[in-house]
Amino acid sequence: MAKGWSLGLAALLAPVTLWLGLFFLVPLLFIVAYSFGTSGAYGGITLGFNPGNYLLVFDPLYLEIIVRSFGIAALTTLLCFLLGYPLAYFIVFKGRRWRNALILLVMVPFWTSLLIRAYAWVVILGGNGIANKSLQFLGITDGPVDLIFTPEAVLLGMTYSYLPFMVLPLYAALEKFDVRLKEAGKDLGASRWQTFLRVTFPLSLPGVIAGSILVFIPSSGEFVIPDLLGGSRTVMTGNLIQNQFLQSRDWAFGSALSVILGVLLLVAIMFYIRRVGTDKLEGA
Amino acid sequence: MEDRQIRERPARAEAAGRGVAVRLAGITKRFGDFVAVDDLNLDIYEGEFFSLLGPSGCGKTTTLRMIAGFEEPSQGEISVAGEQVQGVPPYRRPVNTVFQSYAIFPHLNVFDNVAFGLRRAKTPKDEVASRVADACEMVQLAGFEKRKPGMLSGGQQQRVALARALVNRPKVLLLDEPLGALDLKLRKEMQLELKSLQEEVGITFVYVTHDQEEALTMSDRIAVMNEGKVQQLAGPTTLYETPANRFVAGFIGQTNVFSGTVEAADGERTTLRTREGLRVEAVARDQASPKEGEEVHAAVRPEKVRFGGSGDNVSAAEVKQVVYLGASTQYIVELEGGGKLVLYQQNAFDATGPLEGDGVSVSWDAQNCLVLGG
Repeated sequence: MAKGWSLGLAALLAPVTLWLGLFFLVPLLFIVAYSFGTSGAYGGITLGFNPGNYLLVFDPLYLEIIVRSFGIAALTTLLCFLLGYPLAYFIVFKGRRWRNALILLVMVPFWTSLLIRAYAWVVILGGNGIANKSLQFLGITDGPVDLIFTPEAVLLGMTYSYLPFMVLPLYAALEKFDVRLKEAGKDLGASRWQTFLRVTFPLSLPGVIAGSILVFIPSSGEFVIPDLLGGSRTVMTGNLIQNQFLQSRDWAFGSALSVILGVLLLVAIMFYIRRVGTDKLEGA
Repeated sequence: MEDRQIRERPARAEAAGRGVAVRLAGITKRFGDFVAVDDLNLDIYEGEFFSLLGPSGCGKTTTLRMIAGFEEPSQGEISVAGEQVQGVPPYRRPVNTVFQSYAIFPHLNVFDNVAFGLRRAKTPKDEVASRVADACEMVQLAGFEKRKPGMLSGGQQQRVALARALVNRPKVLLLDEPLGALDLKLRKEMQLELKSLQEEVGITFVYVTHDQEEALTMSDRIAVMNEGKVQQLAGPTTLYETPANRFVAGFIGQTNVFSGTVEAADGERTTLRTREGLRVEAVARDQASPKEGEEVHAAVRPEKVRFGGSGDNVSAAEVKQVVYLGASTQYIVELEGGGKLVLYQQNAFDATGPLEGDGVSVSWDAQNCLVLGG
């Protein structure tokens, strides 16, 4: 009986194990191996043990890019949270019969490719785009101003793109919330705001954690949006890696950067879950 | 035959000089077209254990929620401890609630749950600690302070809910079917415990339940509600012995109802004849005597009917069903004149009664057979 069950389980897990092993684990091992190799002058790579790729990361030029990337990713996460929490809260508690329609609207952007949506922002923010035209029409500016190719443009584009990733887990967490707990809070002398701070928000923390991880991880490695909206002035780690692989043909350094980005993300997220995931928020 | 006096246990409220804890004056609550509570007038006295009893949808919970402040009445005025509370949010009312399925904060441990209200009231830290400890002690939860609600049994969660409300020393404690989720044995224990707790702290309890036995066990006074209106407001004994109408008679305990036409009416003494042709001697209490020819209902409790004997009503009957209940046995008999009758017999000294199919004689007194109003 028990054996049959585990056989069935093995059969169920085999396809996904095979898939992840072949297309995720093996390439990842390639990346790690490449990161210790030496790139040839005309592309190609010689395997070996060359820690120089990792030392190169400490070049101030590259360090700045990595730090900036995490900064932009963190700001994106914060903005998504500040915009997304009220939205999810509104949909769950005030949406009533529109609830499902509203949450569907949050997902509508997924129906179009990220690339196309990023290009749309290029059109909007460009020198002759409607943003600049509107500013001039309203007499706020005299001529075209630099809206695109700024860190702010990157932040705007990323917040726009990743907002649904924040809203959906928050919605899921708040939807499970038992509204009678709000009544209990008020019954025990907590105002609406206090009830939110002491009851609703702490109980929605799993959604906050899931949402911020879902936004922070892809933001940190993002390369399409900074490429299109940031230009050469707002290069992020993702662009740097992309350049090593596609333009400089320095696969060894590109691999080392990828490994570092991965490790840093892992550490950051573990630290975050430790910090926020505990029952620190209890008590007065 | 002497007229039995109905004696209520002296209500604490009367001894306390009857200050009004909660006054509902002309309260109506409408949800769209549905009238949940219909022109309700009620005074609940200080220190009283007051129950709102009725079937689901009778407006009892809505009434409680209006006192708590979760619903505003469509019409009428509510005052708590002499102060009008319309428009006052729940967190500024001097009442606390024990919710139906407890609504304990799952992210807080027992101590923090109980301390929640005190902390919102900016109580000094050592006072919070000592009052929470006292409250936990009172509901027998001492030692459980660090536990999370998920690690508690249903009965323990119910005690947390009770401690969390009582620790704030509210003027009035509102309880919304607090024992509904517990199993029967625990429920019976908690009923007695709640009652003695209420006597100990002296706080007014307003208790909502659909369980008539629960209400009878604990309450000083009970308001029986149906369709948004109070059907009868009285102490448990009065309610059981002299139900005001057919609804109350049927809802509180079991009863045998005779429907028929009045043949003779002499003062409170009334004779009616049922459609099946049975003649029933009954009395009409506390209301104008019915007139001859009027259609009325009369009710007699199963335990007030006996086998054999003599009385105002004697009838031959055949035993149809015998249900042994331990302390008592329930018999269903078919009367010779037509119609069925339920009677209980205590199994005090022997358990030998008639068997199914036996021909018997049953009797009951007119004074135990009440003509029902409404």
